[in-house]
Amino acid sequence: MFQDQIQMIQSITPFLLEGLWLTFRITIIGIVVGSLIGMVLGTLRSLRIPGLTALIGLYIHLFRGSPFLVQLYIFYYLLPELGVAWLQFDSMQAAVITLCLYTGSYVTEIVNSAIAALPKGQDEAARAVGMTKAQSLWYVVLPQALRMIIPPMSGVFVIIIKSTAILSVVGLSELTRQGQIASLRFPGDLLLIYVCVAALYFVYCYPVLKFADWAEKRIGGVTLKMR
Amino acid sequence: MENARSHQSEAIMVSIEAVSRSFKLPRAGKVRALDEVSATVRQGEVVVIIGASGSGKSTLLRTVNALERVDEGRITVNGIEVTNPQSNLNRLRANVGMVFQHFNLFAHKTALENIVLPQTVVLKRSRDEAVSRARELLSRVGIPEKADAPPGDLSGGQQQRVAIARALAMNPKVMLFDEATSALDPETVGGILALMRELADEGMTMMVVTHEMKFAEDVGSRIIFMDQGKIVEEGAPTMFFKAPDNERTKEFLNQIL
Ligand SMILES: Nc1ncnc2c1ncn2[C@@H]1O[C@H](COP(=O)(O)OP(=O)(O)OP(=O)(O)O)[C@@H](O)[C@H]1O
Ligand SMILES: [Mg+2]
Repeated sequence: MFQDQIQMIQSITPFLLEGLWLTFRITIIGIVVGSLIGMVLGTLRSLRIPGLTALIGLYIHLFRGSPFLVQLYIFYYLLPELGVAWLQFDSMQAAVITLCLYTGSYVTEIVNSAIAALPKGQDEAARAVGMTKAQSLWYVVLPQALRMIIPPMSGVFVIIIKSTAILSVVGLSELTRQGQIASLRFPGDLLLIYVCVAALYFVYCYPVLKFADWAEKRIGGVTLKMR
Repeated sequence: MENARSHQSEAIMVSIEAVSRSFKLPRAGKVRALDEVSATVRQGEVVVIIGASGSGKSTLLRTVNALERVDEGRITVNGIEVTNPQSNLNRLRANVGMVFQHFNLFAHKTALENIVLPQTVVLKRSRDEAVSRARELLSRVGIPEKADAPPGDLSGGQQQRVAIARALAMNPKVMLFDEATSALDPETVGGILALMRELADEGMTMMVVTHEMKFAEDVGSRIIFMDQGKIVEEGAPTMFFKAPDNERTKEFLNQIL
């Protein structure tokens, strides 16, 4: 009775898995590069250097205060229009750059909040024994801040995974795009196909969410106004 | 009684000359936390600073190791000008130990590592040397068995002992104590005060903000009374407690004694 459906699933599974694999790789790049951006900018922002703080604030507001889809359009359609050689992005480049900057804006905010949440006495004690500002950051402030960012970072990871679905609009064959293609091949099984797609997203997100819960209980973290 | 006074010499360790510092208030206006304060601390002296809340005691201590900048005036510690931007503040701070009301132990490090870290980072001591010095100091402050405990597992008194050991590890020339016993249970206060008294007896130069008048009287070489950012009275403990000149001092002593 379900013969057809089983066959259909068998035939689309390799494509969906391929899509999941691409989604996986892109999210990992986004998380790694976004974290690096966030660590550096979040730390710099905590130093309260007048012009720099404002500049980083602008970056955060632009990327957190606008839809990811719009950001993607700007990087994919608008910037190449400007005719500047190094702004000629193909879909993959536009997708990865946008995702990294988008992730970075979240992580910057998280790192900055974590540093701000640390009691002021920690930095003061470090300065009082003669550490420089940089030494205090490196040996005292950041090691403690990094513990606090683990739970909210897991939350960001899940947001990033889900955001990659939007990358399908520039033709990147990640998981959602593969689902769309499959539904063109099997228009009658739309529901089943998207159930499969959702299941695969779930398989990827669930462990991360579980980890976030566990980390939250274990470590406690910075609470952020997310979304 | 044998105490710091017998170690006193003429050398000036801390010199504070007409130092002022204002803070902006949240809404409008300013508060003058330090208003042309001048004071001198000689080597081996224990100067006790008392005064009501908000009178500028903490601000005064914090300017001495440049945790707080000054608007006007000049401070030197052991000949190094703290208020000169050209001075190496980090070296200066290593010469000035500070003990805080809330201990401020590095929360991610064990007791031992709290004492090791500044030695390796600031004084560039080898790890072995730093560890052995840290163990020595933990014994010195009476808690050798707590070396591996994180701050969260220590009582307030034990944390303050570690904080004192951490400051001593830098071989400071001066120790600043900002209400070091104010956050402690009454039964642990005595132990910390005894430790401070030992340091004084060994000849350590100290500036001590405290509400412990018995300590001030017994251990202090000199008492400074502050009110609204000014030093309004200063003198030897006997003079100070028996026959204060200033009205505000009398009022304060009446309230506290
Ligand atoms: N960082 C700061 N920002 C704004 N105002 C400050 C700051 N530090 C101190 N002040 C103000 O300066 C004045 C002196 O404060 P300070 O902490 O030196 O007083 P204190 O004598 O140590 O008081 P307490 O006994 O409560 O510790 C107070 O009016 C205080 O509100
Ligand atoms: Mg104070």
